[in-house]
Amino acid sequence: MTRPILEVANLSVDIRTAGGTLQAVRDVSFSVGRGETLCLVGESGCGKSVTSLAIMDLLPRAATRRVSRLAFDGVDLARSGKGAVNALRGNRMAMIFQEPMTALNPAYTIGDQLTEGYRRHKKAGAAEARERAVHLLEKVGIAAAGDRLGQYPHQLSGGLRQRIMIAMALMCGPDLVIADEPTTALDVTIQAQILRLLAELQRELGIALVLITHDLGVVGRIADRVAVMYAGEVVENGTAAEIFTHPRHPYTQGLMDCIPLPGRTKPGERLGVIPGVVPSLVGGIQGCPFRDRCPHARPVCAETPPVKTQGEHAWRCILEDA
Amino acid sequence: MTALAETPLIEAPLIEAKGVTRSFKVGAGLFNRKRTLHAVNGIDLTIRKGEVLGIVGESGCGKSTLARILLGLLPPSTGTISFQGRELSTLDRRAVARQVQPVFQDPYSSLNPRRRIASIVSFPLDVHGIGTAAERRRRALEMMDLVGLPARFADRYPSELSGGQRQRVAIARALVMKPEIVVCDEPTSALDVSVQSQILNLLLDLRRELNLTYVFISHNLAVVEHIATRVAVMYLGRVVELAETAELFANPRHPYTTALLASILTPEPGLGIPETGLGLAFPDPLNPPSGCVFHPRCPNAFGPCATVVPRALGQHPAGLVACHLHDPDYNTANNQGNRPS
Repeated sequence: MTRPILEVANLSVDIRTAGGTLQAVRDVSFSVGRGETLCLVGESGCGKSVTSLAIMDLLPRAATRRVSRLAFDGVDLARSGKGAVNALRGNRMAMIFQEPMTALNPAYTIGDQLTEGYRRHKKAGAAEARERAVHLLEKVGIAAAGDRLGQYPHQLSGGLRQRIMIAMALMCGPDLVIADEPTTALDVTIQAQILRLLAELQRELGIALVLITHDLGVVGRIADRVAVMYAGEVVENGTAAEIFTHPRHPYTQGLMDCIPLPGRTKPGERLGVIPGVVPSLVGGIQGCPFRDRCPHARPVCAETPPVKTQGEHAWRCILEDA
Repeated sequence: MTALAETPLIEAPLIEAKGVTRSFKVGAGLFNRKRTLHAVNGIDLTIRKGEVLGIVGESGCGKSTLARILLGLLPPSTGTISFQGRELSTLDRRAVARQVQPVFQDPYSSLNPRRRIASIVSFPLDVHGIGTAAERRRRALEMMDLVGLPARFADRYPSELSGGQRQRVAIARALVMKPEIVVCDEPTSALDVSVQSQILNLLLDLRRELNLTYVFISHNLAVVEHIATRVAVMYLGRVVELAETAELFANPRHPYTTALLASILTPEPGLGIPETGLGLAFPDPLNPPSGCVFHPRCPNAFGPCATVVPRALGQHPAGLVACHLHDPDYNTANNQGNRPS
């Protein structure tokens, strides 16, 4: 097996809040192979976005990161200086954010924003950068690409802005793209178009993609591998086929039962529910964080649950198969 | 046939919209003249007692404007809305509000952060001057119980509640007036999936228990298929297709409906991401395309689509489709090849 492009081992993020220390991410480990799509899936507050910011070293000041290994293409960024990350970010690893309207600067043209990183990282001239920008805008399906460069973000629709964000992420020819809910703010038909585009470009350019989403439908269609997060932990990790056909963790199973499946869920029938609420992550969490909501919980769940594995499939639960 | 369609709850029309339009004047900068945005453009719609009418469409299609018109919060520019046979404009605004109540998308902004839960739930009774303070509180507690909120929440503030709990508060507030119709505008879009399923179950239970009628607006087609008995598909201010839910999902007739259904992503690994067949020409609502407003994106557009506005075909109110492909006047043998397969 070739060396993964991204290795994350024992990542924890604490955020200082007025109420105490919030353990937003706890002991998260995963790796992403070259050209592979990993989906980080979970509900709001599960730590999936904080995980991505921690990888990119973009955490807010109030957050502290601890990680035993954070390697990009074999180089451990946790042990390199700030300069190493700065040289990679926007260059060999790029990010696509959820809301392109807030991620783009309203005061600069599309062209300025597309070319800025390329000129800096590649030491390229204006004309070369502009050529590259036009090429990528065409690649993401934007007509009259040359004219778009002079426009400002507010002059474009949401779908177009998200295409611009994708083009911007691709400017320097990255090996890894982290996309945080890239289609959540978009309409369903545009979502399908953008995801299709992302998947095509990823395959064509051999990019590794970490896609963060709460939408199991998106995950099912795009992921090679899936990491399910709950309360700051990865509770289950495996290939998409394994996770969807044979989910092992009770939380993953609960999530799958919650969504109506066209053609399979009988209309009007009761959907599955996960009773209760996510535990507070302020202060320490002992044992399995899902046990208060879990239909299979036992007294032993108050202790740290073991990690069970079967091939590439791993889950944190006392049960072999819930 | 769906389980819901079989239930014999669906009866006479409660609300009838005829030729409803709503336009807004939109400023286009300091020196430009104001332009007219036709948010809702000639809608005929009947809402029958006991049904769940799903309204689907993408952002800017006018579904929320339509919801506000149905709630009596916004008068139509032209056309009429009648409620139980009487024209809405002749009725007292408060009499309508007693019968038609809203549940909005965002339970964070739709609840007053400075009022306690019981007082939020009983507020409609306050406004309408119904009962004494003690009676109103008792009624609020009954409603809270009905939607699965423990009584201990009565004196808490919205900020102490989770998103799902807040949406239960919004539903309790809508039901406290014992309305006929609840207009739900994206009621689960702001919620996590595990909470969404709780709220959908609650809405379905309440419908059975209280014989409610819902207008259920959503962009999530899987959710609409689950909860609605009939579905109206909107595009740029118009209803382009209307059909019983099972029929619409099994046999979509309008190319836009077909594209919407193709865009539903189900968690089925290996199926990949569907090709919607839609172009990238996004229409400007201020300057909508001529003829059929969908024609620049339509994979099946032919001769008349760019010039002639399609008429609604089919048996109103059961179902309709506004598309030239289904119009025998236009779709003659020589353009059969353009028909969707």
